[in-house]
This record gives sequence, structure tokens and C-alpha cells, in this order.
Amino acid sequence: MAQFITNILITASSIVLVGLGFSLIYRTTKFFDLAYAFLFMAGPYFVLLLNSHLGFVLHLAVFLSVIIVGLIGVLLDTLIYRPLRRRNASALVLLLSSLGVYVILQNVISLVFGDENISIRFGKIEQGINILGAKITSIQILLIGLSVAAIVTTSMLIRYTRIGLAIRAVSSSPELANVSGMQSERVIFWATFMSSIIVGIAGILVAIDVNMNPTMGMNALMVGIVVVLVGGMGSIPGVVLGALFLGSAQHLGVWVIGSQWQDAIAFVILLAFLLIKPEGFMGKKIRKATA
Amino acid sequence: MEYILHILILIGIYIILSISLNLIAGYTGLLSIAHAAFYGIGAYVAALMALNLHSPFLVNIVCAIILSGLLGAMVGIPSLRIRDDYFVIATFAFQVISFSILNNWVSFTGGPMGLPGIPQPTIFGLTISSHLGFLLLIGFFCALIFWLSHRIVQSPFGRVLKAIREDEVFAQAAGKNVAAFKVLVFVIGAGMAAIAGVMYVYYISFIDPSSFTVMESIFIISVVIVGGAGSLWGPVIGAVVLVVLPELLRFIGLPSFVAANVRQILYGGLLVAFMMWRPHGFLGKYAFQSGEARE
Amino acid sequence: MSSELLEVQKLEKSFDGIRALAGFSCSLRQGEILGLIGPNGAGKTTLLNVISGFLTPESGKAMFQGMNLLGVPSHKIAKTGITRTFQNLRLVRQLSVLDNVLLSFRDQLGERLGNVFFRWKTSKEQEAANQEEALLLLDEAGLFEKANDPAENLSYGQQKLLSLVCCLAAKGDLLLLDEPVAGIAPEMIENILGIIRDLPIKGKSVILIEHNLDAVMQVCDRVIFMDAGAKVSEGSPEEVRNDPKVIEAYLD
Repeated sequence: MAQFITNILITASSIVLVGLGFSLIYRTTKFFDLAYAFLFMAGPYFVLLLNSHLGFVLHLAVFLSVIIVGLIGVLLDTLIYRPLRRRNASALVLLLSSLGVYVILQNVISLVFGDENISIRFGKIEQGINILGAKITSIQILLIGLSVAAIVTTSMLIRYTRIGLAIRAVSSSPELANVSGMQSERVIFWATFMSSIIVGIAGILVAIDVNMNPTMGMNALMVGIVVVLVGGMGSIPGVVLGALFLGSAQHLGVWVIGSQWQDAIAFVILLAFLLIKPEGFMGKKIRKATA
Repeated sequence: MEYILHILILIGIYIILSISLNLIAGYTGLLSIAHAAFYGIGAYVAALMALNLHSPFLVNIVCAIILSGLLGAMVGIPSLRIRDDYFVIATFAFQVISFSILNNWVSFTGGPMGLPGIPQPTIFGLTISSHLGFLLLIGFFCALIFWLSHRIVQSPFGRVLKAIREDEVFAQAAGKNVAAFKVLVFVIGAGMAAIAGVMYVYYISFIDPSSFTVMESIFIISVVIVGGAGSLWGPVIGAVVLVVLPELLRFIGLPSFVAANVRQILYGGLLVAFMMWRPHGFLGKYAFQSGEARE
Repeated sequence: MSSELLEVQKLEKSFDGIRALAGFSCSLRQGEILGLIGPNGAGKTTLLNVISGFLTPESGKAMFQGMNLLGVPSHKIAKTGITRTFQNLRLVRQLSVLDNVLLSFRDQLGERLGNVFFRWKTSKEQEAANQEEALLLLDEAGLFEKANDPAENLSYGQQKLLSLVCCLAAKGDLLLLDEPVAGIAPEMIENILGIIRDLPIKGKSVILIEHNLDAVMQVCDRVIFMDAGAKVSEGSPEEVRNDPKVIEAYLD
């Protein structure tokens, strides 16, 4: 039982990180950036590149990789999404272009590193320590710890800082925020950078904890979308609750019907929420327009 | 020569797939990443029936169309309630769930190993076994489906689809049962895609889930977009361009294990490029800008 | 048995705690042109949305030709004879002017998939007849030359005129017009008002929302002044204009 709960916490932690990051960029850019999946997956591959191929110390490689992922996120926005936004592209056009970006970048990784599952390890395989009857490794503790830190930091940032206020402004009314000229683009820049960092960390930790392959990003992204929908777009406690819910559902499902259905479970939950309560907690944003 | 026939057959399959998706996404404005699921369901129904029931080709294709159409209706229903970009995510979910079922329900579908040994199709006593024979068969279905879409698009029914794409509230206020039209166009598109699936499975004589992934759906979308959404000939142009272009890579000496990735990079790149510079594609009328302003 | 064409009783509709309709009641006789005036947010468009089936009120009654309107899908209401325009001017911009009008015809055979394939000839014949009628309507409205232009190429005023022509093509008994002459040039205003004025002769009835009080005075038989979801004043245009409550509300 304790192990079950621990597993849920571990899963929920990575989900929370992805969800937090995704919520940040979706609130500001207002479209489903599917290239976000790449950002999740790319971090560990950069770690591999820097560490195994270029000889950087592992901790330095991780740090640098997180920064690189953050920069890639911002680069994609600057090169592709920002010009499209300036042309008043619809959310659909942005989604489609992000799809193209993802396809390109994921295949580049596949070309360079291959499609197989790869493991990165800090030295020998850890047995894990025993806490209250549950086994947990140091990476997993780090994951949970970092996700809590991310939750707290992001909440405080949104609530108490100027950039947080700006994010909330852009999130609720982009036209109003645009009245102050360059402001909404600046907000998007920082929100993109922050969310890319967060998802970069998540991807690296998950890769170290489990393993990595070029297609792992898409599922992580979908889970992030589920969590944000279930929990509500602007609500951090919502994301946390959503992550716990989804983590529980996935582990329960895996226990009952087997781990190969893990993704399907997340997607069935997604569909259920879209169909039954499409507004999530955000009301009219998702519903079709009326007269 | 066989190689050219093979390419033509592939083009034929993708013409059918893109015409069908074009009806849904290009004319009605309902972008869907689930099209590979319809393609796959059609293929698997035909394969399973041929292998287990030994039923004739024509029976199998009809069943494939019906079952895929039903799935199409299911996918279409969420479009009635949720906005287009959320709807795309919903179709994504359908796609992944479908793939999951095809890949994991091993006892029924053979799982990742797939199902080999699908017999050659026999129509009215004639068995099709050569590339040329398949080409003629696919050519027939291409022409049929092109004609069907032409008729639909030209009709008042087609006019309502275009109205729904631009302003569905206006269409609703004009007395059109928008919900019914949306579900119906999904049923039609799915049924057509099933035909492509049946063609594919009989041609290759083998089937496995890897042909029906999200990437495949994205490829079909690229075909529609590059050719031009919302136009009659766009899907045809798109299919020709996107099937032929990667094949040209072979001739510049690209090793085959790299080819699949490069092919995907190519159409990913085309997708981005067209979205940025020519969202209505070569021939299209519709640039995926919804009638509602971005909220 | 009510002789009223449209009867609306005690409608209640709230959004996020704001009462858009606060127990609103009114009725409309056949052949009447009723004007709805009042400040922004008074609930005028909300009322139109309820009548045309785009919104469902929390309580109240709405009957059209003795038939209940509430809870009926908007396309079904449209088919029973209520047509409307929209405040933010809805049209199918990429389709031609002619196609927009053709779209608005009711009971088109060619809209049913079965007919598209099995009764194509009959559908085509009906379409040809509709097309003749559509061109006639466009001609009467002065839009004949623009028939094959995409609707988005028309001027704003011409687009408003077009949306009115679409209502005419639908051959409905009741037209709900949301700001039919707002923001357009005087000649076009005259043109549109002229068409509206003639509607009762053709047996049609109209409810129109307008801020242009001149237009309302010219064309309406009866006027209702709405504020905060309620009826503040009702009567002939002159009566309402001179009603001290109305004057006070406008000075607020």
C-alpha cells in the first residue's frame, strides 16, 4: 500500500511539472504547442550528448541541458510562433505548425541517437532506500522534491511578482495586455522560457528514473494537457489535484489491466473530460460560441 | 517498372485518404488527427474477416466501410461541443486509443507482430495478383471517390459544409442541423478512408499497427495542407508531391534506415513551411483560420 | 387561444450573476414591427437569442404561433419560420453573395445526402428555381451585380443588406433583426429601412434592435424600451420617446 502511494506520488510529480509548464505557456500563448513534447524529450538527449559524447561532468551536463532546452523553447517561439501571431494566425494554424516542428525535431533526435530505449545512470544502479515500508530511489525523491519546489515557486511567482501579474493579465485578456505594446510578447518570452526549463527538468528526471526514447515526449505532453484540463487552466492547486488524480488512475489502471494500456488510460480520461465537462473549470473558453 | 507501379499504387491510396480528410477538414473545417485510425480500422476489419471468416473481398470492404463509418460518427460527436483546437486534441486521443487497441489487444489483432497472409482479393471471379491489377483496382476507387467528393462539394449539402466551416452559427440560424452535417461528414470521410485501408491491406498482404500511428495521421494532414485544403484537386496534387518527393531521396543515395526519418522531417518541414507562408496550400481555399477570432 | 404571433412571458436569464433578462414579458401581433431600444447590456440581444433558440432561459415561457420555443434547437426554430440577423454581422464570407442567399433557402432537397446521389436531377431543378428567386431578391435589393462576388468583398453596409436578403430568402414569418442599420451610410440605411417597412405587407412581422432612434421612429409600429433586463416603457414610438422614465434612463 505504501509502495502504491509512493508510486502515485512519483508519477504525479512528473505530471505536475509537465502540467505546470504547459499551463504557463498555454495561458499566455493560447494554443496547444505540440512541440512542447519535444522539449520534454530533448533534455535527456542533451545530457547524453554532453556527458557521454563530450565528456562533461554529469551534473554540469544536466544543468546545461536544462538551460539549452529553455533556450530552444524560446527560439521556437521567436522563429515560428511569434511571426505567426503577428499575422493573427488562428490557434489551429499555430497548433499545426507546432506539429510540424515536433515531427522535424523528434526525427532529428531519432536520426542521431536511434529509436531504442536508453538509460542514463548516475553510477551503479541504486536499490533505493526504505521509507515507511516503501522503496524509493534518490532520483525519485529529487523528483518529488523538485516538483513541490516548482509548485511553490510558480505559485509565489504568479501571485506576488510583477511578471506573475503580467502573466495573469495576458492570460485573461490578451487585447488589454497588448495595449501596453510589446508587453504581451515579453510575457510570452519569459513564460516560454520558464515553462521550457520546468519541462526540461521533468524530462531529464524521468529519463534518469526510468529510461528515454524519442517518442516519450508526446505522451508526457498529452498527460500535461489532461491535467491542465481537469484541474483548470489558471489554477495551480487544480494542476496538483489533477496530477494526483491522473497518477492514481494510471497506477490503478495498470494494476487492473496491465501497463501497456497506460497511455490509453490517460487518453480515455482526457476524452471523458472533454466530452462530459468540456469547460473544465474555465467556463466558456472551450465551449462553442453562441450568437 | 514494378517500382513505378508501386509508387502509383501508393499515390492512389493517399489520394483516397487525403480526399476523405479534405471533406472533413478542408471543406467543413474540422481538423482531425484521427484519420489514420479510420484507415487502420478499415484495414484491420478487412484483414480479420479475410483471415478468419474467409469472406469475399466485396463483403469485407463493405463491412470495413460500415465499421469505420461508425467510428467516424463517434469521433465527430465531440466536434459538436468543443472548439476546434480542443477538438483536435480529442481526435488525437481517439487516434492514440485506437492505436493502443490495435497494438495491445494481441489475441484479436495480433498486436505489434501483425497479421500475415492476407489472401489476394477476388472480385467477380477475377483474382487480382499483379501490381497492374492492383493499380487498376485502386484507380477505380480513386475515380469513384473523387467523383463522390465532387458531387458532394457541388451540392447544397457541400454548401452547408462550407458554411459550417466559416460560420456555423450563421448556418444554424439558417435552419441547418449543423450537428447532423458534422457527424455525417465524419461518417463519409471515415468510410472512404476505410477503402484506402482495405486496398492497402490486400496489396501488402500483411498488416501491423505501425502503419496506423499518429505520425501517419499527421502525414495525411500534410498531404491535405500542401495540396490545398478545401479544393477538389488539392488532395491529388498533395498526394503526388508527398509520395514522390521522399522517393526521390532514394535516388540521391540516402541509406534506407535513414530514409524513414528523413521522409518525416521532410513532411514536417513542409507542414511548417506551408503554415508559415502558404497555409492554403497549392490549390486550396481554406487556411485554417476559423471564423471565430482567437480567444 | 392567443392571437399573438409571438408571446414571451417572465423570461429570466442570468450570466455569472448578472440578470440579463429579469422577468421580461412582451408579445407581438402578426404584421407588427416592434422596436427594441435601450442601453448596452439591457438584454435586447439576449432576448433575441432566447427567442431564436440560441439561449435557454432559467424560467419563463415563449410561444410562437402557439408553439413552445424554449428548449427547441435553434435550427428547428429557424425552420418553423423565425429568421434572424446578428449584431456582429454573420455571413459566410468566403462564399459568393449568391451562395449566401441560396444557403438561406429552406427545405432544400440537395442538402440531404440521399438526394445528392439518388435524386440529383430533382435537386438540381429545385436549385435552379431557388437561384432564379435568389437573383430576383438580390436585384430588388440592388445587389444583383455583386451576385458572384465573395461576400467579404462587399462593403459593410452591403453585407448588412445581404444578411437581410438572406432572411427574406428563408421566407420566415418573423424576422429578428439585431442592429440592421448600425454603422452604415445614410443611403443604405434608407434602402434597408425601406425593405423593412414593406415587410408587413408581405405578411411578415419584425422585431428589431436599434440604437438609431431615427430609424426606430420611422419604421416601428410599437417600441419597447429595455433596461437591465426589464421592460421600462412600451407604446408607440412617440409615447416611448416622451416617456419621462426613458428620458431619465438615457440621461443616466
